[in-house]
Amino acid sequence: MSARLSLRPLSVAAAYRELADPNLGGIVVFAGRVRSDPTPAGPVVALLYEAHRAPALQVLSDLEHEVQRRFGAGRTVAWHRVGRVRVGEVAVIVGAACGHRDQAFAATRFLIDRLKRNVPVWKEVRARRARPPRPRPTRRRARSTG
Amino acid sequence: MAATRTRRTPAPGAGLRLRILLFAAARTAVGTRSFEWPVPAQGTTVRELLAQLSEAHPSLSPVLAHSRFFRDGRAVTRRDERVKPGEEFAVHPPYGGG
Repeated sequence: MSARLSLRPLSVAAAYRELADPNLGGIVVFAGRVRSDPTPAGPVVALLYEAHRAPALQVLSDLEHEVQRRFGAGRTVAWHRVGRVRVGEVAVIVGAACGHRDQAFAATRFLIDRLKRNVPVWKEVRARRARPPRPRPTRRRARSTG
Repeated sequence: MAATRTRRTPAPGAGLRLRILLFAAARTAVGTRSFEWPVPAQGTTVRELLAQLSEAHPSLSPVLAHSRFFRDGRAVTRRDERVKPGEEFAVHPPYGGG
């Protein structure tokens, strides 16, 4: 089990390593990335994530226990970024390793759905207003005085 | 004025307070991350506390209607739970992780 709130970038490869177990044949890793959605203020450039840390870690850990009980997951990860996360960066990783693929898919789906609903994490959008094109500098021609 | 109550109204049972923690929309509504709130020695129910906060900060009222609450990191499950002096009472507007 691995519940984490991180100021640093999350690694899918690290999550996979955390889940790898010779006795578990099905591994599913889900990564949620920040999208460049349009907003009235311009395209999203980043999301600012904030968590109520202790309760968030507790809920993540409780979720993992539930997934192990319900789906027989042998290993799980539930990681979330906090702080500023730029477009294209991974904001959340959840995953489960189970005996077979059906349980692994179901467990991972359950983890991300419950995480979004029950973990005290909030996001604020940071958008960039498109700049108007800069006026071209006008060139003055030297006049011939002759 | 009700809005100044956080700073000026003396606590019933002077010096007994709890800490209110605000997140996301709750913080935006009040304009601060946290503040102290007077509370009697025997504590107050969550229901009473929410009514007092709504009165003092009308802009917080609609946020409270859709929020969950935590006392010292534990989820509040009943509105008749008593919040006691020295505790931390957190307001959690709807979550937005992922």
